[in-house]
Amino acid sequence: MKRVHIPAAAAVLATLSALCLTSVAEAAPACEPAKLAEKYPGLAGRTIKIGVDPQTPPYVMRPANDFAKLIGVDADVARAVFDCAGVKYEFVAGAWSGLLPAVRAGQLDVLWDNLYYNPERGKILDFVIYMEAGTGAMTQAGNPKKIISKDAMCGAVAAVTLGGFEESIVKEADATCKAAGKPGVEMMSFQDVAAGIRLIDNKRADIMMWDAGLIDTLVAENPGKYDRAFMTLSGIQIGPAVRKDDQDLLKAIFDGMTVLQAKKEQAAIFKKYNVDPSSQVTAVIKNEK
Amino acid sequence: MSHRFRKGLVRLSVPLSAALLPAGAAVAQTDSAVPGSAVLTGLAELWGYATSGFLWNGALIAIEITALAMVLGLAFGLGLALMRLSGIAALRGASAFYIWVMRGTPLLLQLVFIYDALPLIGVRFDSFTTAVIGFALNEAAFCAEIIRGGILSVNKNQSVAASSLGMGHFLSLRRIVLPQAMRAILPGVGNDVINMLKMTSLASVIFVSELTYRSQQIVGQNFKFFTVFGATALIYLIITTLIAVMQERLERRFNYELPKDSDGGAFSRMLGFSHRAQSPAVPSAPTEVRAPASEADGREEMRDWLRTLVDADPLPADQPFVTCSNVQKAYGERTVLAGIDLTVKPGEVVAILGPSGSGKSTLLRTVNHLEAIDWGEILVGGGLVGYRRLPGGGLAPERNLAQARAKARIAMVFQHFNLFNHMTALENVMEAPVRVLGESRHEAEATGRRLLAAVGLGDHADHLPHRLSGGQQQRVAIARALAMKPKLMLFDEPTSALDPELVGEVLLVMRKLAETGMTMMVVTHEIRFAREVADRVIFMDEGRVIEDGPPSQVIDNPRNERTRRFLRLVENAPTETTSS
Repeated sequence: MKRVHIPAAAAVLATLSALCLTSVAEAAPACEPAKLAEKYPGLAGRTIKIGVDPQTPPYVMRPANDFAKLIGVDADVARAVFDCAGVKYEFVAGAWSGLLPAVRAGQLDVLWDNLYYNPERGKILDFVIYMEAGTGAMTQAGNPKKIISKDAMCGAVAAVTLGGFEESIVKEADATCKAAGKPGVEMMSFQDVAAGIRLIDNKRADIMMWDAGLIDTLVAENPGKYDRAFMTLSGIQIGPAVRKDDQDLLKAIFDGMTVLQAKKEQAAIFKKYNVDPSSQVTAVIKNEK
Repeated sequence: MSHRFRKGLVRLSVPLSAALLPAGAAVAQTDSAVPGSAVLTGLAELWGYATSGFLWNGALIAIEITALAMVLGLAFGLGLALMRLSGIAALRGASAFYIWVMRGTPLLLQLVFIYDALPLIGVRFDSFTTAVIGFALNEAAFCAEIIRGGILSVNKNQSVAASSLGMGHFLSLRRIVLPQAMRAILPGVGNDVINMLKMTSLASVIFVSELTYRSQQIVGQNFKFFTVFGATALIYLIITTLIAVMQERLERRFNYELPKDSDGGAFSRMLGFSHRAQSPAVPSAPTEVRAPASEADGREEMRDWLRTLVDADPLPADQPFVTCSNVQKAYGERTVLAGIDLTVKPGEVVAILGPSGSGKSTLLRTVNHLEAIDWGEILVGGGLVGYRRLPGGGLAPERNLAQARAKARIAMVFQHFNLFNHMTALENVMEAPVRVLGESRHEAEATGRRLLAAVGLGDHADHLPHRLSGGQQQRVAIARALAMKPKLMLFDEPTSALDPELVGEVLLVMRKLAETGMTMMVVTHEIRFAREVADRVIFMDEGRVIEDGPPSQVIDNPRNERTRRFLRLVENAPTETTSS
């Protein structure tokens, strides 16, 4: 819980220092929907199209009782941010691989769905970072192999998707185990979460690794079936991304996020969806040239 | 979260679970249920998804995209197929290039290109429009090949016959070739429709939320892969079943060999229902156009009718009606016609004899310009057929050959009859008068029935060609040619494809026709017919006229050794044993 207060305090400090350093006329970010045209002239009259792929729980997903709706951490934060700015918006759902090209082509305005920042993407789009990725390892209830950290995986079977942070964790652990003369870590790969879950269900794997937010959701929803073995922060930054020529939109998102964090609304949304609050970071713009 | 997930499912699955499960059985607690009940619960959940409005709305989007893209794709594909079959190399090349690119590149890429790359040049479509355009453009390439295959599957003689009746390219395509090609086209197109319906899931990459993507979203949230996709599969199966039924019905409609009075196809019978057979394309004759009471009456009447035709616009009997001057033609290196000079007077019956390869059929086809000539000229009734004279004196082919043929009033009867297979005898006879001469259907039907009666087929007017004997088919072909009110009749070996016992009935009709004073050029091997009916006999060999004179001279006292040798061979042939 301690970690929650640090970013919050940082946000307050940042706001205070901003107040001191900038001219008196410029107030701290606040929700002023009526002043949309004045604050963000580039957004006046627009309906912001938010690109999402609603199969990424707990970030964007369809609620089971009404498939026509969209909920999740990112969906709720996006709504709060755009309501704060006073701009109209709509969610546009599509397959993940189509999202980034569509934002670049101007068919969408913002990609807001658990999008990882990296320097390559940073060259194409501007980001507002507001959380850090965590990797969770899910195991059978009671953690039968007692895998309590990434250093305790020797001799275990770990299921991962290839080509990501999780694969590197397993490879590293495998090498460490073997170097210490212990049995290595056997790696299994899977294509989608459902397939990964089946590996745990039928005990073909001891742990499956995925985004910590989802792992926590699954564990909370299935008491007595799964447990979280461990969680590790990858340091990968996450946030919505916009085109580089859409600076008013970038600013509106950053301002809204800052307000949300100051009011602890972001933390409340994280809590609502069982996302570890330690993954929240102070909003920051990434807009390299 | 957990609570909400289950609540939704229970709500969805109430109708079936109520029927399947005993009262009070737990629907949501799959873990604690006994195995049998778990299956029931699974089925109940599946049923819940299969009746979900969210999924069916996705299915509706898939259907809309498929229907629109298929219609556009077929239209564009037909254009591409015709381009590929065109005589113009640039059109063939453009079409082949388009098909090569569209079939050879991923549809996914094409969709993303239209959606995300075209905006860079200012062309912006929404998701649905992009999907329709993308699928249509892609489908056109595949349809083009299916349609081309269909067109090629129709015997070329069908369009040759249409062409000889003065039907233009597009009329012939629409009325004769495509209706028959449909039999070969439909199964392929049916495949493509079903394929496309399922492939619309690709459009999720351009934000079309259709059935598969909606299922993925549900699975993405509850991970119940088998129940959700089981339901999706059921929805797809329902829709594709309807498509298959539609395909089956269309196939029946275009299967002219199927008896029209039977009910239901194999598929309909399998599904346990039947549908009423199509009504005949041509309604039965109004009472006032019934065939004459007896065939003899009909023939009398026909003779009078033909006489008026021949006498309507008489030419002086001593002036030639057909004049061929130094007609030359070669196929590549091989000379087929090596300078033919020939005249046919009005009302004259000229029999053309000669060994195969002597050029006699080609000569006949140059008279109505089914074949172009390389040199010389042919005048019919004093005019050129399908040529215009250039200032220097040379000839240039006219653009609208079909119209020129109709105007010249030349009709042709072929060795293999070339009746339009998908049309009844009467429809065969009526087609060109209605479509080319612009006669009313009523008038054309009256004439058609009279003509069929005159060739002794009054009772077979509503039969399709495949239900007629060869001799009957050839008589229908003669009636069809006469319906064009010809001034010249060309017969290209009209009895060569017939069984010996059927030759007589055709020759009898030709003999009657000759008696009415019709001008006729007959390529034949029937020596007896030539001797008895022809006014003049021409013997051709190696592209030249070797002998030309009355039958008594050419057949009975041939001067040329080649003629004598040919006649000896033919007179020993089995067809000569039958006679009219």
